[in-house]
Amino acid sequence: MSSTYKVQVNKLPVVEIATGQSKTLLQALEAAGVVLEYHCRTGFCGACRSTLKSGAVDYLNEPLAYIRPGEILPCVCIAKSDLVIDH
Amino acid sequence: MRYTTFNQTNVNPLGEPMFFGNSVNVARYDQQRHPIFEKLIEKQLSFFWRPEEVDVSRDRVDFQSMTDSEKHIFISNLQYQTLLDSVQGRSPNIAFLPIVSLPELETWIETWSFSETIHSRSYTHILRNIFTDPGSIFDDIVTNEHIRKRATDISKYYDDLIFYVQLLQVHGVGDIEIDGEVHDVSIRNLKRKLYLCMNSVNALEAIRFYVSFACTFAFAEREVMEGSSKIIRLIARDENLHVTSTQHIINLWQHGDDDPEMKEVAEECREEAFNIFVSAVEQEKEWASYLFENGSMIGLNKEILCQYVEYIANLRMQAIGFEPHYKQISNPLPWMNKYLVSDNVQVAPQESEISSYLVGQIDSEVSAGDFGDFDL
Repeated sequence: MSSTYKVQVNKLPVVEIATGQSKTLLQALEAAGVVLEYHCRTGFCGACRSTLKSGAVDYLNEPLAYIRPGEILPCVCIAKSDLVIDH
Repeated sequence: MRYTTFNQTNVNPLGEPMFFGNSVNVARYDQQRHPIFEKLIEKQLSFFWRPEEVDVSRDRVDFQSMTDSEKHIFISNLQYQTLLDSVQGRSPNIAFLPIVSLPELETWIETWSFSETIHSRSYTHILRNIFTDPGSIFDDIVTNEHIRKRATDISKYYDDLIFYVQLLQVHGVGDIEIDGEVHDVSIRNLKRKLYLCMNSVNALEAIRFYVSFACTFAFAEREVMEGSSKIIRLIARDENLHVTSTQHIINLWQHGDDDPEMKEVAEECREEAFNIFVSAVEQEKEWASYLFENGSMIGLNKEILCQYVEYIANLRMQAIGFEPHYKQISNPLPWMNKYLVSDNVQVAPQESEISSYLVGQIDSEVSAGDFGDFDL
């Protein structure tokens, strides 16, 4: 089993992020050099709201911001598979 | 349709809509139609802070050394925020509580409004430190035409809803003539007024504070007025939570997850709601021109501030189902984010200003795994 997932944001070049719970998806993407919008970083403001095109995520903390079906909050979730995201 | 403070009919709150159902009787939180409001209450309570905990004494010295145009920017923003929080400290209670039907939402509205009163008290705390007598600053709020102009727009949707709810309570449904003017007091019309009011409140919480936040944080970037900036940071964190609640309410209506009639109302009023948002953006831009009329400040000018308003407006509009309306899609003030991060980072505990120390944030969730290493 590979220890990284491939993530593509906004049709930018695909980046690899480490699996596991040590970093949120937002932190992992920042570490990989992808800039996302954010404010609160704890799941209540909704500034990092993104659309999940494919893949699956797990929430570390339950998001408080309103998310419609198909949307995710990268600041409180981790990747569970390779992902394609619109942000 | 008299309001009763304890509705004695046996209603099932799980089947009630957020507003215009049966009035709430038992304040119970064991079951919730919309659990999000209970979670927001808990979050808001965990954010509790008092202005006196933040030391603003150095700001007095900083203020003395500011230029006149910078003083104008700082004071005008405080005055405007004072107006906003004066409105928000009372209006959700007066407008929404008489028509709310869910206990968790009723308590959220009270918790929300209460936190705004703390903001109001903190402006007095800041101004008392800067001026020996801050009286004239407060007196000016109701006479300053730039502030008054926006006050009219902020309060009119509230006032309209409150007036119609009063008519409903006194006269019931029907066409009611007051001073020669006929008012259509139907539930449908009241729901329309409620929808517009909620959109106006959402615009207030979502963008009206941000011109002022940007200026305060720009001062903090230069290490001036840092005490005030710490307070404004706590306020910004609260406002971000409040806007989450208004976004939830609007989205629940739009998606038909609450009152099916509100879904129709939301579609009917879509354009008007959009215009409320756009005119709030325009007013904030006008406010930016007023702030910088005597000259700008280091790190910020009118143009970049207007770009920031457009950028934040795009984010906020998307959150309630509108297409982004402005061309500014990237953040022109990236350093703003550092002040908007909800501070959950453990720092030195003796720093009483760090909000995570003010209240023990207890996680009461226990899973079976937590007992894994127990031996009996």
